[in-house]
Amino acid sequence: MNVEISASVQDIHAVVETVNDPEYPGISIVDLGLLENIKVNKIGEVVIQLIPTFSGCPALQIIAQDVREVTEKLSGVKKVDVVWLNSPVWNVNRVTAKAEKELSEKFTIAVQIQDRKVKCPRCQSETTIKSHFGPSRCRSVHVCSGCNEIVETLRD
Amino acid sequence: MKRSWASLEEFEKFLDHGGIVEPVDDMPREYRQAVFDFIEMHANSELMGGLTERDWIPKAPGLRHKMSVIAKTQDEIGHAHLLYMIAADLKIKTREEMMQDLFAGKSKFHNVFHYRAKTWGDQVAIAFLVDAAALVSQQAVFKNCSYGPYKRILRRIIAEEGFHLRFGEESVLRIAEGTEVQRSMFQESINDWWWPALQLFGPDSKPNDLLLRWYIKSERNEILRDRWIQKFVPLLQGYGFTIPDSGLRRNKEKDRWEIGPIDWEPLKQTMVMGGPDSARRISEASDSWKKTGWVREALEKVSA
Repeated sequence: MNVEISASVQDIHAVVETVNDPEYPGISIVDLGLLENIKVNKIGEVVIQLIPTFSGCPALQIIAQDVREVTEKLSGVKKVDVVWLNSPVWNVNRVTAKAEKELSEKFTIAVQIQDRKVKCPRCQSETTIKSHFGPSRCRSVHVCSGCNEIVETLRD
Repeated sequence: MKRSWASLEEFEKFLDHGGIVEPVDDMPREYRQAVFDFIEMHANSELMGGLTERDWIPKAPGLRHKMSVIAKTQDEIGHAHLLYMIAADLKIKTREEMMQDLFAGKSKFHNVFHYRAKTWGDQVAIAFLVDAAALVSQQAVFKNCSYGPYKRILRRIIAEEGFHLRFGEESVLRIAEGTEVQRSMFQESINDWWWPALQLFGPDSKPNDLLLRWYIKSERNEILRDRWIQKFVPLLQGYGFTIPDSGLRRNKEKDRWEIGPIDWEPLKQTMVMGGPDSARRISEASDSWKKTGWVREALEKVSA
């Protein structure tokens, strides 16, 4: 007998994608690269592995709770474990182009991709770093050389 | 792309059509001053709030609360950092001058930071009542804010403050479900913080309020205050706590809560640095600024 009673990885992925980062309402944690893996067995026991941007991030518990809540609502899901992994380590390459665009347009936040110069989300001019930390551990503060905008920059 | 306006009337027409002012624009002097004063007070309040939050890092009950207090401290100080930067860009005072004015008691910060948080219950009451009051007013400023850099920073601040509020709600729930001692401690905190939080919105807006005229604020103080009252009276009563207002009553026809008369004297005192904890707060902030001078110096050398 081969009866599928469990939710599929795709179903789970789709609901996890609806969870937004509490610091960036409207931007999915999947697009920010926090989802590492989803495991589900035949009897509906789910393990969702996430990785934090920074290990001391204050949003971890809230994100885990939100992920658990949406997943538990799926039919065929019996038990959900959300696990924060220590490795791999999150880096900005995990941020999708979609999230990069949303961060820029909705929040005027740039993304620091390796050695590339950080460009101002408003006028595309180059920026200079003002301080290594801002309101969040995953963001530095830059100033635009063109329009003087204060550009918070997501970085690893 | 510097824009200028022939007269204040022309400028106001531009604002009425939803115009957004940028730092490079040749804005009217009165508007520049009003925006600056508003942002400076916001920046000062974030800094004073961050310093209070910091005091609770060693005293927070448990690792989870400790983490949230650390994160909130970083948020508030970070917000102050961003706000001081855009305030300085208005070229009325330098950042150093703003700091010196704050430490000399010459510039303002929100009334709630002129009181002392004595217990963890106070800290929870602040996270619940005061943070919500601040969020309500920031959302209203954000809605129609005519000054571009401020509007963009507010969007991020609001997202983070909304996140703080989740901690506040969670902490209240824990205290409400706690022991009798915890509940009575929290009741005392409500007694102490209800009125200061309510007064954070300020007295009723004047009909000719220029902050409203220039879209620096977008809603009248009394409307924001009432929105907060309608939300928090039933919430606190629902948890079984009482509101320290003998004049509070339910208007059944209007389906609304009506409060007793507000004594504005305490608010006035805080605005002239005469609040119960004003002097200590200001000297603590000044000390902290001096003690951290070496960090700023070291960072300047690295960036240079």
